[in-house]
Amino acid sequence: MKAAPFEYVRPQSVDEACICLAADADAMIIAGGQTLVPMMAMRLARPSRLVDITRIPELHGIRDDGTAIAVGAGTRQVTAANDCSIAGSVPLLAAALPWVGHAATRNRGTIGGSVANADPAAEIPLVLVTLKGSVVLRRPAGSRIVAAQEFFIGPMMTVITPATCIIEVRFPVWSASLIGVGFQEISARRSDFALVSAAAQVALDDSGRCVACALGIGGASAVPQRLDAAADALVGSRLSDDEIGQAVRAAVDTIEIMTSSHASDGYRRRAAAVLGTRALAEARDHAIQCAAGPVQ
Amino acid sequence: MKVDLLVNGARCRLDVEARTTLVDCLRDHLDLTSVHTGCEHGICGACTVLVDGEPARACLMFAVQADGYAITTVDALAPAPGELSVIQDAFCETHGMQCGFCTSGMLLVAHALLSRNPNPSHADIVDAISGNICRCTGYGQIVDAIELAARRLAGTNIGAPGARIMSGPAFKFVSANRRVREDRRFAAGRGHYVADIKRDGMLHVAIVPSSHAAARILSIDAAAALAMPGVHYVVTGAELAAAVDPMLNGLDTPRVRRFSLAVGQTRYSGEWVAAVVADTRAIAEDAAERVEVAYEPLPHVVDVERALDPSSPEVHPEHGSNVLLDKTFVWGEVDRHFAESPRSLSFRVTWGRNSTVPIETFGVLASWDPWHEMLDVWASIQMPKYAEQIARALRLPANAVRVHYDVDVGGSYGVKRGIKHTVLVAYLARKLGRPVRLIEDRLDNMRSGDAHGPERIFDVSVAFDDAGIVKSMKMRALDNVGAYAGRAPFQLGKPIGAIVGPYKIESVQYQALSVMTNKAAQEAVRGFGQSPTNYAIEAAIDKVAAAIGLDRVEVRRRNFIRKDEFPYLIPSGTRYDSGDYHTVVDKVLAHADWSGLQQERDRLRETGMLAGIGIAACLEPSGGNSSFEPLLNPKNTTTTWMDSCRIIVDGLGHVTVAIHTTSSGQGHETLAATVVGEVMEIDPDRIRVVRPDSLASLPSNSPVGSRMAVMLGGAAFHAAQKLKRKLTTIAAHRFGVAADAVDYVQGAAIDRATGKRLEWADLILIAHRNIHLMPEGMEPGLEVTHVMQVPTGTALPTADGRVQMYPCHSFEFHVVLAAIDPDLGKTELRRYVIGHDCGTVINPHIVKGMTLGGIAHGIGAALMEEFVYDADGQMMSQSFMDYLLPSSHEVPSVEIVHHCTPSPFTVLGQKGSGESGYLGAPAAIAGAINDAVSSLGISFDKLPIRLTAISDAVAAARESTGGQ
Repeated sequence: MKAAPFEYVRPQSVDEACICLAADADAMIIAGGQTLVPMMAMRLARPSRLVDITRIPELHGIRDDGTAIAVGAGTRQVTAANDCSIAGSVPLLAAALPWVGHAATRNRGTIGGSVANADPAAEIPLVLVTLKGSVVLRRPAGSRIVAAQEFFIGPMMTVITPATCIIEVRFPVWSASLIGVGFQEISARRSDFALVSAAAQVALDDSGRCVACALGIGGASAVPQRLDAAADALVGSRLSDDEIGQAVRAAVDTIEIMTSSHASDGYRRRAAAVLGTRALAEARDHAIQCAAGPVQ
Repeated sequence: MKVDLLVNGARCRLDVEARTTLVDCLRDHLDLTSVHTGCEHGICGACTVLVDGEPARACLMFAVQADGYAITTVDALAPAPGELSVIQDAFCETHGMQCGFCTSGMLLVAHALLSRNPNPSHADIVDAISGNICRCTGYGQIVDAIELAARRLAGTNIGAPGARIMSGPAFKFVSANRRVREDRRFAAGRGHYVADIKRDGMLHVAIVPSSHAAARILSIDAAAALAMPGVHYVVTGAELAAAVDPMLNGLDTPRVRRFSLAVGQTRYSGEWVAAVVADTRAIAEDAAERVEVAYEPLPHVVDVERALDPSSPEVHPEHGSNVLLDKTFVWGEVDRHFAESPRSLSFRVTWGRNSTVPIETFGVLASWDPWHEMLDVWASIQMPKYAEQIARALRLPANAVRVHYDVDVGGSYGVKRGIKHTVLVAYLARKLGRPVRLIEDRLDNMRSGDAHGPERIFDVSVAFDDAGIVKSMKMRALDNVGAYAGRAPFQLGKPIGAIVGPYKIESVQYQALSVMTNKAAQEAVRGFGQSPTNYAIEAAIDKVAAAIGLDRVEVRRRNFIRKDEFPYLIPSGTRYDSGDYHTVVDKVLAHADWSGLQQERDRLRETGMLAGIGIAACLEPSGGNSSFEPLLNPKNTTTTWMDSCRIIVDGLGHVTVAIHTTSSGQGHETLAATVVGEVMEIDPDRIRVVRPDSLASLPSNSPVGSRMAVMLGGAAFHAAQKLKRKLTTIAAHRFGVAADAVDYVQGAAIDRATGKRLEWADLILIAHRNIHLMPEGMEPGLEVTHVMQVPTGTALPTADGRVQMYPCHSFEFHVVLAAIDPDLGKTELRRYVIGHDCGTVINPHIVKGMTLGGIAHGIGAALMEEFVYDADGQMMSQSFMDYLLPSSHEVPSVEIVHHCTPSPFTVLGQKGSGESGYLGAPAAIAGAINDAVSSLGISFDKLPIRLTAISDAVAAARESTGGQ
């Protein structure tokens, strides 16, 4: 399992990276490489040139711009997992990161790399979709921002065009004071890619009523899917178990299940309902716990 | 490309190809062979290094990406040569390793964890090592080691968690809580594995695999491959078959011919069609892609029941059918017992195709010296009569093949047989006049290493009475052996030696059916067919209990052979040596708090979980002979199955023990030193153990059949007795008394009557320098050998198919509490207790590790491991992303309850334990799951029982009952 031969370049800037990519249609970006390298080892990916973007300074850093936390695409997952502003402002991402691979892969894998890879079962894309985040792209012609819902278009497929580089991944910050998050997933082994996963974030008012709600399901469909119908139905409720269960079950029925040999369609739909319900309940309990006192 | 690395504090400027991974760079360019290659796709963690102080997988980085980074390998952990760090030392103290292959990565992960978190919880440790797969230990002793290291680093220097010290006869070293001597070198990253061996001018092989399950090979065009720079040769099956003999079949099936490469047609997807030899493995892989093979697809069959149908495609048309073996044995009055029994039941259970899947793949390096006419072979081998088989196939005299046994094997558990690999590289080495090596990559290993295990359908009927006493059993075992015969069909024969398990079943009908399909060939897997058989037997006992509404433990108790009935002759001709099954069960139930455990199950059920308790009682036949060979193949008259030991005392009085096989983590050096030390009353740590090459070796049949404690331990014991006798004979001659008037006490010979002594140094002097003081006719020097035959099983089978199989029978009793998420189907093992009786334990750490590791392997077989083929005959689980090996998250803490019933057939009362845990875990876990779902009216009768299958079945059951 040795990769096919390729050229390797390590540009110093995003512009230079874009030029390298533009010069060669079979070039690929490598960041942490935690998914790409095994694909290359099996010769399922055979780039002619690898453009290593991990040391480009402008791709690093975590910024709070008030409405969103902007994570530089080259930020390693371990850095994000240890970051105080993410823990404080995007707790859903903080909750999801421990589920991403293993410590050893999080030490190398990047936030942008996971987003670009677009595995339907990956945790970071699920959080991004659930929170209605966005992806900042750069190509020689300029930058643009793409909403997460438009960014992912299929399994391992995104709207990224050749010679384009992800600059930043933006996770919206909710302004409400009382926020809770829940993240659930199921896999045969705990650290595997999820068969199905669920991410939920809720905001409660002082009386415990839900004022905002987001729910996303990963792994069940070709791209991470927001269950807005369920979320909308729950705003204004007190998020009782019954209310959550009813809303999620109804919404899950509309998911277009992605068939694969690892689990039956029925399993994926059932797991989506169960995990979605549990994630919302976890988020509710988390919010209540936050209201009650110091966060554990 | 230029790359600048700071490796273990030293600046290294290297020129590497861009595609060179960090692991290959460290190993091939810097000779840091402590970093191991396990999967090359980022799952197993064997190649873990620290990159700027943090664990990373060196197979998931190209070296050029690491430019400028600080890389730390395990080599940097030891404070000085010969001195271990606190963490390394803790791993040695708890025996937190076996074969050593994953150990470097584990140590670095532990090092990083304890640097970051000096006081980790148990859960922190389990999580930290969860990305590093160990196939040997089941993780328990690794977690113990890290906990111990944390306490020691914190200054609270307390003892290691004990592997237990045996009760029983008073031994000085045997059964003592002593370290395993092999561990030091593994903890230092100094194991010596086949991939670490380099020879000048060495070339590398890559394989061209078949893309079809069955196809005629119309042509092979290697021109483009041969034109590539660095490519030396491409060999096809046609060329090879003209130059070598087919590999041996175990059964009498001469028309099932098997060569290293497919000849004329391919018989499974992935089968080797051609081999490319090049300067590097990477170039060889480049060239393998350019070899153009034209195929004409042929009909294929992967389903074993379909393969039985005469109208189905024939895997080997020359053989005339797909059936390799169809033999029915009737031992006792089966028909009468069924007719007379008030009750009977029948069922089917299926054992999925899995294997032991060591983290080190199989590898072999061969070198031919035309001036000495000698073939040197280094291989990660575990194979009886390996050197002879290679010589036979290559048409070489056996004394022209020299296999080097001083190679550490990175896990095997049965499968590392590699004859086809070896014949191929040996042929190429002779042809090209250069050393040639083939190290399987993970894809080669999974799809075409020919190392899958049994895949078996059992149809079982049992006749019993209202009290649950099982009188008779009929078992039909239909095994999907894959595309070739080899030795694998014997895996239907070995279980005959324990076909009734620990039960007094009076008569048995057993049909052994070995059937070929277009799947990869099988190899021997831990237990050699016993674990699947035990699963079928235990399923029968559970069903009997359910049928009469009696407790499952009670039914087992009623059927167990009693302690006072040993030696006990079972219907198929084996005499069990000893056992005390009732006591072991009592001890386990007391330890587990049986009623408390049931309450815990019921409490879990009240919370909405599905919860169940599984139990399994089974035997581990050990001390392996090969009586199944003549039983299944009348042309094979093998009754000898020896192992040997040599002891040499040099002129300075130091003791060296020679053993004559490779090891893959079982601690044979510790075993031999302990036994010799025990007999000679010398500290085993002062004894050197060596492994001569095959030409300098005494006969061995390698560590198969759970046999080395019995056989190598026995040979070492007898050799040491001979040495002692020689010393006392020399002394008696000096004292002028009869030999039996002299006692041997801690190295000295003492005249019992007068108290006169000759010290060790005196005796050595006489033996080495003073022949004039020795008894007449005695050979000078101090060298003794013992070649030992298996204590039983020295006769051919009787005409009615009865034979004494293995001499010893270890017993294990599993109790497991499983909690299952009813919606998601995930099984969590909340409690795992095993009672284990393997007679006298020689080293408690080793036995503990074997048992825990066997259970981990059994968890995989029960819940997640399977080689899956689709209808087109393509293998769907070629990587570690699809073939799931249990990590530390999936293996619970296991509690072991010990018991010791010495074997009357062995020198110290010892029995085998190399297969323990694995032989009952799948049965117990399946039983727990079935107990959990029984209230829904469903059950699972096929392993592995995946979470998706559980969830789907539970959902269907609930829907059909309109519930929940």
